[in-house]
Amino acid sequence: MLSIKNLHASIGEKEILRGIDLEVKAGEVHAIMGPNGSGKSTLASVLAGREDYEVTEGTVQFLGKDLLDLAPEARAAEGIFLAFQYPVEIPGVSTTNFLKSAVNEIRKYRGEDPMDAVQFLKMFKEKMAYVNIDQSLLSRALNEGFSGGEKKRNEIFQMAVLDPKLAILDETDSGLDIDALRIVAEGVNKLKSPNNATIVVTHYQRLLDYIVPDYVHVLYKGRIVKSGTKELALELEERGYDWIKSEVDQ
Amino acid sequence: MLSAELNTTLQGIAQKLDPESEKGKALSHFLDKGFPTSKWEEWKYTSLKDFNGIDRNWFPKGNSNLPVSADWAELIIRSSDAYLSIEKPSSNEGMEVLSFDEFIQKCPEFQEIWSDKKPILDQNSLYDLNVALAPQHTVLWIKKDVEISKAILHQYQVNSTEKSSSVQSRLLIYLEEGAKVSLMEQQTSTGSADILSNFVQEIFVSKGAQFTYLKDQDFQQGVSHIDHTFIYQAEGSQVDTFTFSLNASLIRNNLHFYIEGSQVVSNLNGLYVPGENQLMDSHTVVDHRMPHAESNELYKGVLLGNATGVFNGKIFVRQDAQKTNAFQSCRNVLASTRATMNTKPQLEIWADDVKCSHGTTTGQLNEEALFYMRSRGISLPAARTLLLLAFVQEVINKVEHPVLRESLTEKIIAKIQQSVDLSN
Ligand SMILES: Nc1ncnc2c1ncn2[C@@H]1O[C@H](COP(=O)(O)OP(=O)(O)O)[C@@H](O)[C@H]1O
Ligand SMILES: [Mg+2]
Repeated sequence: MLSIKNLHASIGEKEILRGIDLEVKAGEVHAIMGPNGSGKSTLASVLAGREDYEVTEGTVQFLGKDLLDLAPEARAAEGIFLAFQYPVEIPGVSTTNFLKSAVNEIRKYRGEDPMDAVQFLKMFKEKMAYVNIDQSLLSRALNEGFSGGEKKRNEIFQMAVLDPKLAILDETDSGLDIDALRIVAEGVNKLKSPNNATIVVTHYQRLLDYIVPDYVHVLYKGRIVKSGTKELALELEERGYDWIKSEVDQ
Repeated sequence: MLSAELNTTLQGIAQKLDPESEKGKALSHFLDKGFPTSKWEEWKYTSLKDFNGIDRNWFPKGNSNLPVSADWAELIIRSSDAYLSIEKPSSNEGMEVLSFDEFIQKCPEFQEIWSDKKPILDQNSLYDLNVALAPQHTVLWIKKDVEISKAILHQYQVNSTEKSSSVQSRLLIYLEEGAKVSLMEQQTSTGSADILSNFVQEIFVSKGAQFTYLKDQDFQQGVSHIDHTFIYQAEGSQVDTFTFSLNASLIRNNLHFYIEGSQVVSNLNGLYVPGENQLMDSHTVVDHRMPHAESNELYKGVLLGNATGVFNGKIFVRQDAQKTNAFQSCRNVLASTRATMNTKPQLEIWADDVKCSHGTTTGQLNEEALFYMRSRGISLPAARTLLLLAFVQEVINKVEHPVLRESLTEKIIAKIQQSVDLSN
């Protein structure tokens, strides 16, 4: 589904991603871990198409297409979804209006007819159940004055509505208490299917108790320096990142 | 200064006027000053220097016969190149539309109110030009305690002939004590030649009266519209204005509120959306002359293309105006890198027990927000449109009339969507 080869990306003069290789197949869950500042959010942003970063080398194929060639909105329409580490406030636009635009723009891209108000109502109702989200939150200006937990829950609600093929969750666990974490993780698990894949970016292994990964990768200084199965996450939990850092820095 | 040709034309008009009459004096003032240039502080960004060199047809004949349909209106009046017609009369005897002379005959007590008015006319040679050349005022008179439940529609139209022309038009509105009315004004144009439209409105709102005034300024390119709206408010009255500036080569709005009684409420709402080769200038004055009154000013602007915007908001709180509450906010979005906005709030406060606040901001659309929206599949133009619409909605939502609110929303969406800058 996703194939990243030798990906290099910089911002200004600074190279942040320094040769990433990663293969993700349908049905898989990959965890990307690593210390702060190692480039996890950068990788997620580059995949979603943030223009601040310049890709200097490498390729990214997504479902047979050259992902790097596509505008961010086209990537979304092709099935990529990034749950932001810091969801952005959209003043004056409610979640429902926002999602109506998003869904119908994506449908337009795919050559499908737009959905009408009645269809939306039904769909929203169905998806609200995934993350236990309240109607009142969806009528408010998106992310404006939301608590940390509300923002993350809203991200997963949007993911449920947009039904992506590849979901990238950037530190969706940060700032959540244990109950909120469980709700968010359950939402993600319910959305999992053999046809889609998930990349979970996290700093701690806590989230991985709930969203169990098939593979775990450690990102450090812009490279994947270690890959393994979920046992690797447990080892990192126990021993921290220092042993990996010293292995790499030697 | 005026070109020789223009000077000759206007001198010719002056010779037919009694030099001691109001009109004669006004024209001589105008001839001394000419059109404002950028050297005039109040016209720094809105120079009319070129007009000093354009001779025009100064008395065009109204000839528009656009069809009117508005079920929602109680009365429809039209000023076509300053010529009044009543398009849909009302049987309500509580109001009258008449000429100034007729009005003064029927309502002699107004003479005193008229001669006592003290407008602020610094650097306003166009007011003089209007006094000198305009036909009589059209008067809209709402009588004591009369409440007009449906709105009144005023169609203000200017129509171009082959030659450059200039329309001078005057409207006087008098609300007697306790009267209540809403006036909806559609300002439009026909033809494509260059028109100078110079419109003076003087509005007297008596004790306890309530007045709502909505202007939808939607002219063709080629029109320069100078609007002077002077509102005098007596004790306990409330006035809400909504000024929507959608299209014209140039719009200059001089909106003045003179608060002449206590317990007055003045609400000024404005939204301007200038696009390519358009300039829109809002000069507002809120003059708190009496105590215990409140004014709220909310202006917003979206600037498209290479548009220029100007906001100058003056608040005066005179020495007698203790316990004044005055609030002003002007926020702007530059939707294009080629657009410019000039803002200047000006507060002059001589009373000590007052609450005043003001703030102006001008910025671009938030890049983070745009990326967030795009990452969810919303295209860049759609994302920009959505953010801009959310931004302008605050002003549009204050319009209570559903038909007008919708038609304004539609026109603004269309204008924003058409703007080429949205996609790059
Ligand atoms: N917009 C930016 N401008 C400059 N440096 C940046 C920017 N974004 C990220 N970086 C730098 O890139 C490195 C990786 O950041 P990030 O991808 O956010 O790491 P992580 O998500 O793993 O904590 C850090 O050193 C960070 O300071
Ligand atoms: Mg991060």
